[in-house]
Amino acid sequence: MILPVLGLCVGIVLGSLTPILIPLAYSKFFSVALLASLDSVFGGLRAAVSGNFNDAVFISGFFTNALLAAFLVYVGDRLGIDLYYVALLAFGFRIFQNLALLRRQLLRKHG
Amino acid sequence: MKNIKQGRWSIACVCMVLGFMLAVQFRTTEDMKQSLPYQRLEELADRVIRTEKERDELKEELGKIKGRQDPGMIDEELRIQAGLVPLEGPGVIVRMDDSTQKSKAGENPNLYVIHDEDILKVVNELRAAGAEAVSINGQRLVGRSEIRCAGPTLSVNNVRSAAPFEVHAIGDTTALENALKMRGGVAETLKVWGIQMEITSSDNVYVPPYKGSRKLTYAQVTQEKEGKK
Repeated sequence: MILPVLGLCVGIVLGSLTPILIPLAYSKFFSVALLASLDSVFGGLRAAVSGNFNDAVFISGFFTNALLAAFLVYVGDRLGIDLYYVALLAFGFRIFQNLALLRRQLLRKHG
Repeated sequence: MKNIKQGRWSIACVCMVLGFMLAVQFRTTEDMKQSLPYQRLEELADRVIRTEKERDELKEELGKIKGRQDPGMIDEELRIQAGLVPLEGPGVIVRMDDSTQKSKAGENPNLYVIHDEDILKVVNELRAAGAEAVSINGQRLVGRSEIRCAGPTLSVNNVRSAAPFEVHAIGDTTALENALKMRGGVAETLKVWGIQMEITSSDNVYVPPYKGSRKLTYAQVTQEKEGKK
């Protein structure tokens, strides 16, 4: 469990040090992509705990989810449909679901 | 915990990317919060610059106008002729109001209210009798003035006013009065329809200056062309 946390820390440090800023116009897409990645990570953790983890599925899911979410929001923006909130709701819902499953699995294993 | 070991490297990599995104997003949000007042500041600064520019332009214009005024008498004479100066002198005040008579059944009620034509006729008579300055309801008549029906109101110098109308004219008092009151003249015609018209002569009739726009957008100064009408 140390390695993912270490990776997260390294990422945060890297992100804080690089002088990249998201332009205001794209901040919406980026935040959705971020949420999608967060969802993927929780999904991956749950899969790892429950024992059906697959590297390829995890990595591809992580990137496609993030890109697709941003793309969908972009298309929605162009069409005048606010898919931003839809994505927010869907990913938020899934994150909590994955979190609940993760908690249960861990409790069952250690309990 | 064997299962977790299975994907620990990929999860670590993904976590790193996630951490990177988190940090960037965090910094962007912080930056946005900070820059918002700056945006407002910029907007305000822009407005100040624009207003200052406008002020300078107006100042310059004022200076020009003042400079033009200085050369003295000839210019003042022109301003008086152009109707830019308030004037006072002997003349007549004509008050006109809609008819008090009720229109008979089947008759056009329009005949009993004052129209732009009636005012035009009065002004025309006054000018023919040598009126030097004329104003209608406080609007000075100059070369560009119109007297026009604007719905139920009258438009003079693009300013609307409703009945009763008060026409001030400076000139020879008796000539002006007689011009209006002559047999078959304006006053008699309008009396048929009961339109109220009250002519009072006075020794000091006040005529206000022209206050409308003086800007010429299309007309340009040119040389006099012989033989052209």
